[in-house]
Amino acid sequence: MTQILDFIRFTLRRPAALIGTTLLILQIVAIVFAPWLATHSPTTADPISSLQPPSAEHWLGTDVSGMDIYSRIIFATRINLLISVTAVLFAFLVGVPIGLLVGYYRNWASTLTMRVLDFIQSFPIFVLGMALVSVMGQEIWNVAIVLAILFIPVFARLIRAEVLSLRERPFIAAARCSGAMDATIMFRHILPNALTPSIVQVSISIGMAILLTAGLSFIGAGVRMPVPEWGLMVSVGSQQMILGVWWVSLFPGLAIVFSVLSFALLGDSVREYFDPRRETA
Amino acid sequence: MSVSDSWQRLPRPLRIVMSRLPMVFPQMLGVIFVTFMLVRLLPGDPTLLMLGNMATPESIANLREQLGLNGSLWEQFVHYMGNVMHGDLGVSLFTSNPVAKDLIERAPATLELIFYSMLLTVILAVVLAVIAVVKPGGIVDYFSRIYGLAAGAIPDFWIGLLLIFFLFSLAGIAPAPFGRIDPLLEAPPAITGFYTFDSLLAGDFSALASSFGRLALPVLTLTLVNAGALMQMTKTTFAGIWRSDFIRHQRASGLPERVIIRNALRNSLPPIITLVGFLVGFLLGAAVLVETIFSWGGLGQYAVQSVINSDYPALQGFVLLASAFILIVYLIVDVLYELADPRIRV
Repeated sequence: MTQILDFIRFTLRRPAALIGTTLLILQIVAIVFAPWLATHSPTTADPISSLQPPSAEHWLGTDVSGMDIYSRIIFATRINLLISVTAVLFAFLVGVPIGLLVGYYRNWASTLTMRVLDFIQSFPIFVLGMALVSVMGQEIWNVAIVLAILFIPVFARLIRAEVLSLRERPFIAAARCSGAMDATIMFRHILPNALTPSIVQVSISIGMAILLTAGLSFIGAGVRMPVPEWGLMVSVGSQQMILGVWWVSLFPGLAIVFSVLSFALLGDSVREYFDPRRETA
Repeated sequence: MSVSDSWQRLPRPLRIVMSRLPMVFPQMLGVIFVTFMLVRLLPGDPTLLMLGNMATPESIANLREQLGLNGSLWEQFVHYMGNVMHGDLGVSLFTSNPVAKDLIERAPATLELIFYSMLLTVILAVVLAVIAVVKPGGIVDYFSRIYGLAAGAIPDFWIGLLLIFFLFSLAGIAPAPFGRIDPLLEAPPAITGFYTFDSLLAGDFSALASSFGRLALPVLTLTLVNAGALMQMTKTTFAGIWRSDFIRHQRASGLPERVIIRNALRNSLPPIITLVGFLVGFLLGAAVLVETIFSWGGLGQYAVQSVINSDYPALQGFVLLASAFILIVYLIVDVLYELADPRIRV
């Protein structure tokens, strides 16, 4: 609790952290209060009011099928963050134990696991994601599962790197001498000291996951209409952009930028907060 | 004379290449296995999915044969491996051409796009990073911080659309975002497959101007989005070298700033080479998105079409080619890295 208060105090003194947190809070508000904030139904087509510019009735205009862009952006926050946060948390929960085991035990199994992880990472991430989603079926959960698979190696590697340096430290040797079991050493002594880089990475990865989800939907390998999703919304407007109809693609794209930026800034702040060289004034 | 002696007598570049090559084979095998499994991941019978309502018992049997779906999984894999080795990637369900032929036709377009994007990205990233480190607190340093943060958050497909809107629709200074060359001009005779090189070789300057013009927006899109990350990482590496003792010594010895920067850059080269390798991977993924926007007609657009049309042989072929390409890029990067750092023993 004191640590949370301390982090809030830390945030208030830093413009970057403050912007990141504010943007994040805005997104949480949009997620929780979407039905009240939205002015129209996000999935109801209204051909009569197709492609209207921003007005008092439609704050950010309408797309080609007459759906209200503002309402869709608000509702899309739910979908986009649901996919990205679930995917990254899942990757974190799977990747951390893998990294711990692979770093702690050095045998053929851990070498093999590392080779497999290296191999997954050697694929061009977007290409592999696109192929997997289109094969598994273009559903929200399949996008999340694919993203999770793509992010597992990231966390496993980060944890492993920390474990490799920690396991040689005297306090681990002391724990071993006092008869602690491997599991105790791993989870009680090593894990808490190895987590910081991965926690920072969670925030950064969520941002990347949002970009990947949007990209997948943009090319038609992600979620499908009429689901409100930012990348899909940009894609809906991409045909008209050249004709000067800018609002259909511009606003959802801005939502992506702000969302990714908020997680990047938050990640930076968390890293600075945990940095031991930081002055604790 | 022992084996290790004769090994050490080989020239160093050759030793580097030879020690790296054996690792490529299991990786290639892995790539082939993954692309093989891709179609097997399809829920239900892929032939029914692909044929849809037009499925008849004969057409299903034909397609099963065509896709190599008969026999045990192991037999299927051996069959698929054999085909891949012979350059047979199946037949596209959409274009009805052999997938390998489709891919080879479209590869130069994508490679040209990636080539110029990489060139511009590296130049922009390294120049910004060096100036930001050499003149800390200056306007470039300040700008590079904001740019580095923002570039990582901007979707490439979105910035591409914005560039089209502002530079083509509004300002009218950019050429039309459809294809690699003005449709009224004839494409230069294919020698390298790069329109810019080919038109230069053919001495066709209107084609040269047009193909460069068409490249401008997609290359700018890819550069703007990707240079940010490369710049930040180059900055970290270069700043570390810039603070090191040997640079301070050079300055104390009165070497001109230009020479010091060159020496510092030379020493930051190995990590930058690795980053550029990753960059190619990113650019390939981003090209899929950007090609769609600019109707580029390259591999990326082919891949997107295969996704939309459920053309699994084509998708499979694209993933195989893209992954194999990246593996080769990583191999080259590893070799260059060791060449650039003479301290590494092989």
